[in-house]
Amino acid sequence: MIEIMFSSLYAMLTSPQIMGLMLIGVLCGLIVGVTPGIGGRLSIALAIPFVFGMEMVAGAVFLLTMHACNGTSGQISSIMFGVPGDGDDAATTLDGYPMAKKGEAGRALGASVTASGVGGIFGAFVLAIMIPVLEPVVMAFSPAEFFLMAMLGITFIAFLAGGDQIFRGIIIGLLGLILATIGTDPYTGTPRYAGDFLFLWDGLSLVTAVLAIFAIPEMIALAVRGGSIAAVSMEGAKFSYRQLFEGILEVPKHWWLVIRSSVIGSVVGMIPGLGSNTAAWLAYGHAVQTSKTPERFGKGAVEGVIAPECSSNSREGGSLLPTLFFGIPGSSGMAVLMGAFIILGIQPGPTMMTTQLPLVWTLIWALVIGNLIAIAFLLVVMRWAAMLTFVNGAILVPFIIVLAVVGSYVNEGQWENLVVLVAISIVGYGMLRFNWPRAPFVIGLVLGRISEESLHKALGLWGWQFFLRPLSLILIAMIVSTIAFAVWKQSRQAKRMRPQLTAAQ
Amino acid sequence: MSSLSKYSNSFMTLLMLAVFTGMVLIATRYPPGARFMPFVIGFPAIALCLLQLFLDARERRLAREGAVADAGLSEIEKAERQASRAAGRPIHFDVGEMLLPADSGIPPREHLRREMIAWAYFLAFIAGVILFGFHLAVPVFLLLFLRYRAETSWLAAVTGTALGSFVLFFAFEYVLRISLYPGFITDRIKDMLGG
Repeated sequence: MIEIMFSSLYAMLTSPQIMGLMLIGVLCGLIVGVTPGIGGRLSIALAIPFVFGMEMVAGAVFLLTMHACNGTSGQISSIMFGVPGDGDDAATTLDGYPMAKKGEAGRALGASVTASGVGGIFGAFVLAIMIPVLEPVVMAFSPAEFFLMAMLGITFIAFLAGGDQIFRGIIIGLLGLILATIGTDPYTGTPRYAGDFLFLWDGLSLVTAVLAIFAIPEMIALAVRGGSIAAVSMEGAKFSYRQLFEGILEVPKHWWLVIRSSVIGSVVGMIPGLGSNTAAWLAYGHAVQTSKTPERFGKGAVEGVIAPECSSNSREGGSLLPTLFFGIPGSSGMAVLMGAFIILGIQPGPTMMTTQLPLVWTLIWALVIGNLIAIAFLLVVMRWAAMLTFVNGAILVPFIIVLAVVGSYVNEGQWENLVVLVAISIVGYGMLRFNWPRAPFVIGLVLGRISEESLHKALGLWGWQFFLRPLSLILIAMIVSTIAFAVWKQSRQAKRMRPQLTAAQ
Repeated sequence: MSSLSKYSNSFMTLLMLAVFTGMVLIATRYPPGARFMPFVIGFPAIALCLLQLFLDARERRLAREGAVADAGLSEIEKAERQASRAAGRPIHFDVGEMLLPADSGIPPREHLRREMIAWAYFLAFIAGVILFGFHLAVPVFLLLFLRYRAETSWLAAVTGTALGSFVLFFAFEYVLRISLYPGFITDRIKDMLGG
């Protein structure tokens, strides 16, 4: 294990290609994080065509560093202008923006970037520590369990969308699964749903589907609403590098809070279904509750910046755990990342513990080094990076659409994929417009072939009795209890609202 | 929740129901081994769609009664509620000029008009690529979108188009050595000219 750990690090550091791609990944991740209108999932979707055909390790390192560094720069607009990029950043806004208004933007940014980086590194270490702990569990899994794990993955991701959305999420996950059956059936050779369309005989293009579900609908929505925040006051935008340095020092000064918040983030990341915002809000709430002076929170307390940033970035390492070893993405961003990994030829599951362990260690080191590069880079270019916040979203739209369309074409070189892109984009936009979750679709699509294979193998080995295996029963219980919990939560919420309404009427 | 959104949720469910039913019906023509997986997925999916239709109807009824959580609250107020729940005490955001992208406040008719325009641009671009290829469609799309949708100046639009097209074709055709689709009509014209 120790040998693999350090040989992976050595191989990575001595490979100019991987280090170069990591630098590009960090840069792209930081730019995407700070630019309004482009989320982490979208950036991964757009990057897939570029890594298609790339060597597995290099492609995975590039995508993971890009994804991991997304959150490191996302808080710039939250702190400087009070405009959170996403849910995680909203927690940072609570104290970050008041700090900026008090003329302490530099201190808040220094603390948040350092805390975010430290959290990311902490998450990677948690992932490393958990490998030997999880090994016997992962190795105990058979094809029967892997079929049910795919179902559990869809259920968890559907649950992520919100308790009241769980059935919609599962429906979308099943849509992904059934669309994955398009193409030649591996057992009978029958071309399912492909007819005379030869381009469909190899199955639906995963790249096209991911771009159609995420990139095109997001860009149409951005074109509709416009994305400029140029009207925001520059009042809090002033900062000095001296303040930035003071902010960096706040992190070691609050080391105990850093550790606690990072643990919260890593644990939340490991539990699929808890949602991306939860880690940041839980850490914020924890910081308030454990503070001797809770009245400072919401008015510019630096702990209110450190805690959510540590937590939200340490979540990435934690959520890699279920993603890599069980094929259950810990978050919707991880769902798209997992799709990209499968395109690269990485098969989540027990092989990650055996033959692919060097790759796992490379990914862990990529998280550590990527975060270190991101902190160093961002602290130097912070002043200019903030200017990206003012980019008008409408200007980005045509470029991203072009990139998505080119990406859809180049991965198989078939123009027919452009028609598929349009068809799935329409469904994807419908989901976005009417608040249907989209991440389960990707999971269904990427796990479709694997789950079909696992189901056939399980039936061949045990017949329908495979549902009665102890591990299978545990997984079935988890699926049922997740759905039951979502339904219970929804009905409780509805009941709670009734008296308030009656009173209001 | 607008009435459009309410009914469109059911529309989405009906669309899903149609897709699953269609795929299951098509699968009945396949041999047993090939239709097994579509059946395993399709039948539970159809059942879930029917359940969702029932839930959609209930949601509409609750919405009529006004029993929807956070109804009438702004995005900032909803976020304040979430923060208060997490922190265990009332929290008010001190973000006077905070702009949330989702909180667009665009009137429904205007929203629909903008959607139609955005889709028209996208569909025209795809049609342009299929008919005339990337080399022609990309610059035209970039120029028109930047000038008329993003409302940049002609200079900015032309510069953006030139830079964007150059970077794209340089990256794919020269660096990655990937030929981009030439287009039906462009190909035919080339053939006619003997090129």
